[in-house]
Amino acid sequence: MSDTKIPLVDITTRATHENNSVSEWRPADDDVNVDKPSSPSRRKFIKKSAGVTTASLIGTAALVTGSDNVQANTSWAEHFQGNYRLMSDEEKAEAIDRLEKRYSLEYEKEVTVDGTDAQEGVLFGYALNIQKCIGCRRCVKACVEENNQSRGDEQEIEWIRVLKMEKGEFTQEKLNDGYPGDYGIQVGGNAYSAAGVVLEGEHYYEPEAVPEGDSHYMPIACMQCEKPPCVKVCPVRTTYREPDGPVVIDYNWCIGCRMCIGACPYWARRFNWGEPQLPKEEMNPKTHYLGNRPRMKGVVEKCTFCIQRIRHGRYPACVEVCPVGARKFGNLLDPNSEVRRVLDRKRVFRLKAEANTYPKFFYFVD
Amino acid sequence: MNKFNLGTLKMFLVAGVVMLGAPDAFSEEVVCFESRKGASEVTKKDISEGWPNVKCSPKTGAVLWWGDPFDGTQPMGEMPIEADYLKGEAVVKPRTGKLALYAICGVACHNGTFPVKNDDRNPRTLIMHQDVVPDAMNLQHGRGGIWCLDCHHSDKRNKLVDNFGNEISFDQSQKLCGKCHGPVYRDWRDGIHGKRIGEWASDGKKRWFVCTECHNPHDVQQGERNRGFAQLHPEPAPILPKGIYNKDHEQHHGSGANKEDAVESGDH
Repeated sequence: MSDTKIPLVDITTRATHENNSVSEWRPADDDVNVDKPSSPSRRKFIKKSAGVTTASLIGTAALVTGSDNVQANTSWAEHFQGNYRLMSDEEKAEAIDRLEKRYSLEYEKEVTVDGTDAQEGVLFGYALNIQKCIGCRRCVKACVEENNQSRGDEQEIEWIRVLKMEKGEFTQEKLNDGYPGDYGIQVGGNAYSAAGVVLEGEHYYEPEAVPEGDSHYMPIACMQCEKPPCVKVCPVRTTYREPDGPVVIDYNWCIGCRMCIGACPYWARRFNWGEPQLPKEEMNPKTHYLGNRPRMKGVVEKCTFCIQRIRHGRYPACVEVCPVGARKFGNLLDPNSEVRRVLDRKRVFRLKAEANTYPKFFYFVD
Repeated sequence: MNKFNLGTLKMFLVAGVVMLGAPDAFSEEVVCFESRKGASEVTKKDISEGWPNVKCSPKTGAVLWWGDPFDGTQPMGEMPIEADYLKGEAVVKPRTGKLALYAICGVACHNGTFPVKNDDRNPRTLIMHQDVVPDAMNLQHGRGGIWCLDCHHSDKRNKLVDNFGNEISFDQSQKLCGKCHGPVYRDWRDGIHGKRIGEWASDGKKRWFVCTECHNPHDVQQGERNRGFAQLHPEPAPILPKGIYNKDHEQHHGSGANKEDAVESGDH
C-alpha cells in the first residue's frame, strides 16, 4: 500500500485539509461503518487539531499493521490520498480501486468507478431552447436518477433548477418609466413595476399541467464556465476545469468551506449538509470519480454534464429525457455537431454574459 | 392449447396475488411512456442485475432514464433528402407492432377493392373510424384545410401517403410530416428540433424520436391553446428548505402577478 510510504510530516499537513479525518478514525477492528460517523462541527474539529499529529500516527500504525476490515482500511487510505489532479496514474488507480470496493460493499452491488480522462479534440457544449421548455422537471428527476444525489425528505439535492417566470411586459407606458431617464441605458420600469423580465422566478410551482398560459420556464444548472469563479475561489483547489470543458470536484479533497457556492453566479452548486440519503436499490452503479460517485457529508457537488456518460460517448441524462427536445449537446469543436448547428442557425444568448465567465451552456430560441 | 392453459393459469395467479393485496407483483410489470402518453411505451425490466432498461417517474409514469437507449429499435432506413447521418447508426422504435388493427386493417376491411374507391378528394366530414381515432370528428390539424386522405393512403389503410401517392410506413412519419413542415423537418434532420438519445458524437449511433412520438397528429392545434405540443403533468416540485413551510416567499418576485400586494405589504 503506497500510503504507508508517505512521510509522517506530510500526513499531518494533509490531515488539516481533511474534513473529518480525526473524528472518523475508528480502531481497525471496529465493525462500525466508518463512513457514517456522527461528525462534530468544524469548530470542534479545529479545537481538536492539536491532537492531529497523534491521531495520524495512530492511524498510520493501523495502516501498517493492516487489517481484514476492508471498509476501515479503504477509508483510512482515502483520507490520506492526495489531490486527484496531482496523483500519479498508479495512485489514481489505487484510489479508484479503494472506492469500488467500498461502494460495492456499501450498496451491495458491483459498483464501477471510472477514471477516464478527457478525449483529445473535444470541448463539450450545451444548448437549451428556452422557447420550447415547458417546465415539466423531467430533466431534474432524470439527473437525480443518474447522478446519485441525496433524495427524500431529510435531504433532497437537485442539480437542475427550473424557474417559472412571468412573461415580460414591454408596454409603452412602462418603457418610459423609471431609471435612468433620457440618456444612458433605458432599462424600463422600476423596482416596483418592472418592464421585461428580471431573473427571479418560482421554484415551487405545482400546477396540474404544464406549460401554464402566460409563463415561460428557465432551467438552470452548471454552465461549465471557461473562467469559472468557483474555481478561482476554491482554497484547496479541489474544483477545476477539465480539458474537455466540465468543471469537476474531487469530493475527497473538498473541505466543505462553500466558497464556491458563494462565488457561482448561476446558483449551480449544492452542499451536502447532512449524510446523503441514497437507497441501495436506486443507486446508479456506473460512476465516475469526478462525477456521480456517491458523495459524503460536508462536500459540494454539481452538474458535470454527466461526465460518466459523455466520456463514453453517451448523451447526458437530461438531454435524453427532455420531452420537447429542448436540450442539445455535443462537441463544440465539431462543425457538424448539434450544438454547433444551433450556434450557426439560431439566436443564442448566455446567462449573465456580463459576468465574463464564458459559459459553455447556451440558451437559444427558434 | 397448452399455451392457452398456461396463460389462463398465469392470469389466475396474478389475480390471486392482487386479491391478496401484494402490490409488489405489479412492480414487475411497470409500463411507462417514453415521450408522451399514447405514443411509444416500454415495459420495465432488468438488463443485468441492478441495471434496469428504464427508470420511470413514480408520479407521472414517464420514462426518466434509459439503461439501453437502443432497446427495441430498428434502423431508420432511407431518408428522402440526404442528411449526414450514417445509415444503420440512426435507429427508430417501430410503431406498427403497437397498432392493434394494423395487421388486419389493410386486408380485412381495406383490401383495395372494398370500400369502393372514391375519387372525390375534397375535404368533407366523414363519420367513421371513431373507434380507432376517438377524436376523428374533431381533427385539430391544418385548420380545416386538410383531411384524412391527405395523410392516410386511400387504398392501403395501413400506410400513409406522400404527395405523389407513394406509400409511407407508419414507422416513418417524418417523411409524411416533412411534406408541409419543411423548415421543422430540416431542423429535425439536423438534430436541432426534436429528440435523440444515444451517442452525442455527430457520427454516433442515435435513436431518433419521430414526429408522432412527441406530437399527436390528430391534435396538434390543441383547440384554443393553439400549440403544437400538448400539456403534460409536471414532476413534483423540490422540497421546501428546512424552516420554510410554504412557497409564499416566491410569489412576490419581480414583475409577478402579486406585485401590488407586495408593494402594499412592504415586501420587496
